[in-house]
Amino acid sequence: VTALASTANVMRHAFSAGIADYRAIFTWRSWVFGWMVRVVAQVSFFGLIGLRVADDRSAFYLLIGNALAVAAQAGVFSLNMTTTERWAGTLPLLVASPTSPVVVFAARGAYLAVDGALSAVLALFIAGPLFGLHLPWPRVVAVIPLTGLVALSAYCLGTFLAGLVFRFREINGLVVNTTYVGLMAACGVNVPLSYYPQAIEWLAHGLPLTNGLLAIREVFHGDAVGSILGHAGAEALVGAAWLTLALLTFNRLASRGRLDGSLDYGA
Amino acid sequence: MKGFLAGFNLELRIIRSGPDALLPLFTAPLFTIIFLAIVRNGGRHDLQPDALMAPVLMTLWWFALFQGGNLITGDRWQGILEWALAAPTSFATVILGRVAAIMVFGFVGFFEVWGIGELVFGVGIPFKHPLALVLTIVGTMFAMAGTAVVFAALFVLTRNAYTFTNSASFPFYVLGGVFVPIAILPGWIQPVSSVIFMSWSADLLRASLKPEHIHDFWGRLGMVVLLGAVSFAIGRAVLALVLRRMRVTGELATA
Repeated sequence: VTALASTANVMRHAFSAGIADYRAIFTWRSWVFGWMVRVVAQVSFFGLIGLRVADDRSAFYLLIGNALAVAAQAGVFSLNMTTTERWAGTLPLLVASPTSPVVVFAARGAYLAVDGALSAVLALFIAGPLFGLHLPWPRVVAVIPLTGLVALSAYCLGTFLAGLVFRFREINGLVVNTTYVGLMAACGVNVPLSYYPQAIEWLAHGLPLTNGLLAIREVFHGDAVGSILGHAGAEALVGAAWLTLALLTFNRLASRGRLDGSLDYGA
Repeated sequence: MKGFLAGFNLELRIIRSGPDALLPLFTAPLFTIIFLAIVRNGGRHDLQPDALMAPVLMTLWWFALFQGGNLITGDRWQGILEWALAAPTSFATVILGRVAAIMVFGFVGFFEVWGIGELVFGVGIPFKHPLALVLTIVGTMFAMAGTAVVFAALFVLTRNAYTFTNSASFPFYVLGGVFVPIAILPGWIQPVSSVIFMSWSADLLRASLKPEHIHDFWGRLGMVVLLGAVSFAIGRAVLALVLRRMRVTGELATA
């Protein structure tokens, strides 16, 4: 019980530190007029492509997919955590501390999942009506927890990848961006999964976003609750699997940096 | 010229030493696949050239915004801005050389997009008006370089350029008509779009890949070059102002 309380305490402090970081980057004005404008523009960009390519239906498909992709995108941003610690010079201290680094990193960046879910829901509810997307009330409320689930699932993938790139900060931005654009390409965001070869379709089901997005599309179609819950369950399983992988590998990968001294600035 | 070449070579080395700088060259193939998949899935094979030109412009814009925009801020962080300014070579010439190197790197995206289109979908770039295409690309790179100088000058002034760089991608892709012509945008946005050089570039790039005659080519290319020249002039003036102010207030270093 003491160990659990201690871990919870570390997570609480790490989460607070993450929030403080975020507040140093964004004021509410820069979040609304900078970040949110970008997010709404990003979703609208694809909505406009849908209109140009075909019709409203095509635009709605792209709008919903790309709004949800924002949740996954912010979740994957958790990868930046290790680089931030390294730049701040606190990474060696964290690894040397008795607390497991993965606990600190997982908690510290958790605000990104919250931010991603909030940004995605707002983007959908702002850009959607601009394009004439009907938000079926009260069914549409289900989109909020499902978006949160997608953000969390992507966050778990991001934490796993953070362990992999722990010692290679020079490729951190590269991994972040290729991962989220890769998710946009493979997870049924812009074209149905059936468009791609079978192997990619299977692979996509093992990635965050795919199953959660299927659930959200079914919410809009008014499909059966059982089917929606099935896709949501699959999304939760995928997230849990990536988190388990992160827990199994993160500390081992981090401790390699202790052996070869690559944790510090100079490495 | 020596300063320009020194800046050019310096930037090539900087880019080579940091793989993160090459980020857009990794995302361009993915965006190419996304855009081509959308138009082909929608049965609009006529829009394939547009789907190929969008990631080319996005790649150039990313290089101008992130790599070009952070030039001086990066020097300031590393504490080398004072040395660069104290050198007898004109600082603006060195910056120009560095921006030119960035744009050359950005142009690699064109061939990359072409290759991915061929490899994945068997779709190449249709060279219907090759001269118009080349001239438009050169004009676009010139205007992108001018924009990068403006960003570089403005970012020194901001406390946190990260917020702006992170936010200035998709709004400009929409306003610049990177994929969708600005004629589709609401009427009240179109005057804003028309002063963004990318909207002229994007239209011309698309037109140069289609068999139809390009209406008023020279006039439209002239607008790209004019808007690029205006950017250069603004960037140069802001840069001179900012650096003079920093010298006076002693804020050249990241104190």
